[in-house]
Amino acid sequence: MGYFQSFIRQFRARLIVIIFVNNALIVADWYIVDRVVKLTGLWSLIVITAIPLITIGVVPWLSTKVLVQPTKFLWQAILHIAPHNTEDMGTPKLDQLHLGRELVTNLINQVYQLASVVQDVEQSNIKTKLDLHTNFVASSLPLPLLVLDKEENIIYANEATGKYLGKPADELTGQSVYTALDMSFLSDDTLSSWIKASQGKSATAEHKWERVRIGLPGQGDSLLFDLAGYYNQDNPLGYETLLVLFDHTEEYAQDDQAMSFVALSVHELRTPLTLLRGYIEVFDEELGPTLNPELKEFMKKMNASAQQLASFVDNILNVAKIEDNQLTLQLHEEDWKKLVENVVEDLNLRAGVRGITIKTDIADDLPTVGVDRYSIYEVLANLLDNAIKYSKGTNEIYVTTNINKDGLVETSVKDFGLGIDGSILPHIFDKFYRNHRNRAQIGGTGLGLYLSRSIVDAHGGQISVNSKVNEGSTFTFTVLPFTKIAEAGKTGNNPSITRNAHGWIKNHSLYRD
Amino acid sequence: MQSDAATTTAPKRVLCIEDEHFISELYTRALTRAGYQVDVQLDGQKGLAVAQTDMYDIILLDLMIPNITGIEVLRTLRDPAKTPKMHAKIIITTNLEQREDIRADIEQQADGYLVKAEITPKELVEFLSHLDI
Repeated sequence: MGYFQSFIRQFRARLIVIIFVNNALIVADWYIVDRVVKLTGLWSLIVITAIPLITIGVVPWLSTKVLVQPTKFLWQAILHIAPHNTEDMGTPKLDQLHLGRELVTNLINQVYQLASVVQDVEQSNIKTKLDLHTNFVASSLPLPLLVLDKEENIIYANEATGKYLGKPADELTGQSVYTALDMSFLSDDTLSSWIKASQGKSATAEHKWERVRIGLPGQGDSLLFDLAGYYNQDNPLGYETLLVLFDHTEEYAQDDQAMSFVALSVHELRTPLTLLRGYIEVFDEELGPTLNPELKEFMKKMNASAQQLASFVDNILNVAKIEDNQLTLQLHEEDWKKLVENVVEDLNLRAGVRGITIKTDIADDLPTVGVDRYSIYEVLANLLDNAIKYSKGTNEIYVTTNINKDGLVETSVKDFGLGIDGSILPHIFDKFYRNHRNRAQIGGTGLGLYLSRSIVDAHGGQISVNSKVNEGSTFTFTVLPFTKIAEAGKTGNNPSITRNAHGWIKNHSLYRD
Repeated sequence: MQSDAATTTAPKRVLCIEDEHFISELYTRALTRAGYQVDVQLDGQKGLAVAQTDMYDIILLDLMIPNITGIEVLRTLRDPAKTPKMHAKIIITTNLEQREDIRADIEQQADGYLVKAEITPKELVEFLSHLDI
């Protein structure tokens, strides 16, 4: 009340001054006209009337400016914070105010305080609305939806996510997305690599992945999803990454069934194959000595054909396994020289019946290598099998092994046969790819090189080819010395290291570069 | 072609649990010639019962056998609660590709794993001669 009282006093004082000055002017006017200048008649009437008339014009104008100033400042203050005001009145400059400064300052403060309360209320209203909105939309969404923070931890998972993973959605909150979702991607274009790339450079980003395999915890099963991600670095609520999953398990399973059917049928070949190989062996051993050279040669060819059929069946089944993410490598320390010699010995029969000699040149100082002996056997066997098939009348194949400049164990299989046209070289490691020119002449499924590349990749090595038409081809692949593998997997004293085959790269896997 | 292991002492006994008659016939022939004494069981349940007698040095166990799967036989034989410790080496012989989880079980519990289509009877004999029995 004190401010108001002092404002009234100031106001009254100014009014008194104004009225006094006004009256003093009129009295002085009369005095000057009547006594000093001594005007009479019409002239005195004109001058005496003129002065009050002028003050009527000037005094209200001047005094209004002063008296109304506090009101004006208040008006400015209110407009300044009014939400829908577009008129710019400027901010009140309180140091220019003389009349009722305390009262106005106080009132303006009150106005500002009220305004900030209103704003708080409004904001909390907006937030509640927003929460209600997201929760409602997200929880009625039948697709799994996840929201991640900057550390890639889950801050929100809707009910559909929980349903797919078989646990309550709120249990997922706070977990790393890589713990909650056991994801495998088709290539090294993974969720974590995308987020990492986005964090580096863009404010927002979008990405889609197909055929992401998500393992279900505690069950051997997995589902196949398409995954869509939206990244927003500056999301005010900290929702950095949004993920939506689309379940395509059934559609993809249908694609895969074509392969499974082949695998199943091929499987049925194995029992008769086992028997054929058994009987051939018995006949070869027990009848062999009595046969004439021609029949002996036939016996060998029969044996070689049965062997070839067996490796063909293995190839198909292994590709099916890769497609189904079931091919797992157990990397052990192995003597590479022994392994190579072993494969060459097994393939010699097939080479021999075609009049081909396999020559080996294996460096003596090779370190032990870290390989899955069964899978890497297939690689070398496939390359040799190809070399035999494409040798076309030439009669030598070279297998050489040495250490390359990167310290990796490098093995080459060189033939002098048909060779491969430069235009198709880039595709020969693709699945089902076959040189159409040769298709009619030479059999095969186009799976051998695809399989070889997959297996070499999974070992951390590389496979390449050099070829000239009519001069032959050289396939070269590398495997890692065991010490390098052991270094990469330094997690404990486990003697073997397990890896998934190419095609399915685990997110945050220990062995990714 | 007599195996050293089989001739120096009493013949080693092999139990072949295999329902494909032609295959067991071939294996029996090769193994008998190498000096082993071979019994064949075509049925999983019966095979398991015979195996539990602990009369054998080597058990060749197929995974696709009637009445009970080879995996179940393996698990039962290796479960101390169901089978007292026996001295036989168990070698899985199969033509079936294994799911990862089953393969892990096999690797832990069996002493060997052979794909039948990849070996000849002679190679089987060669493999068994390296077993530490």
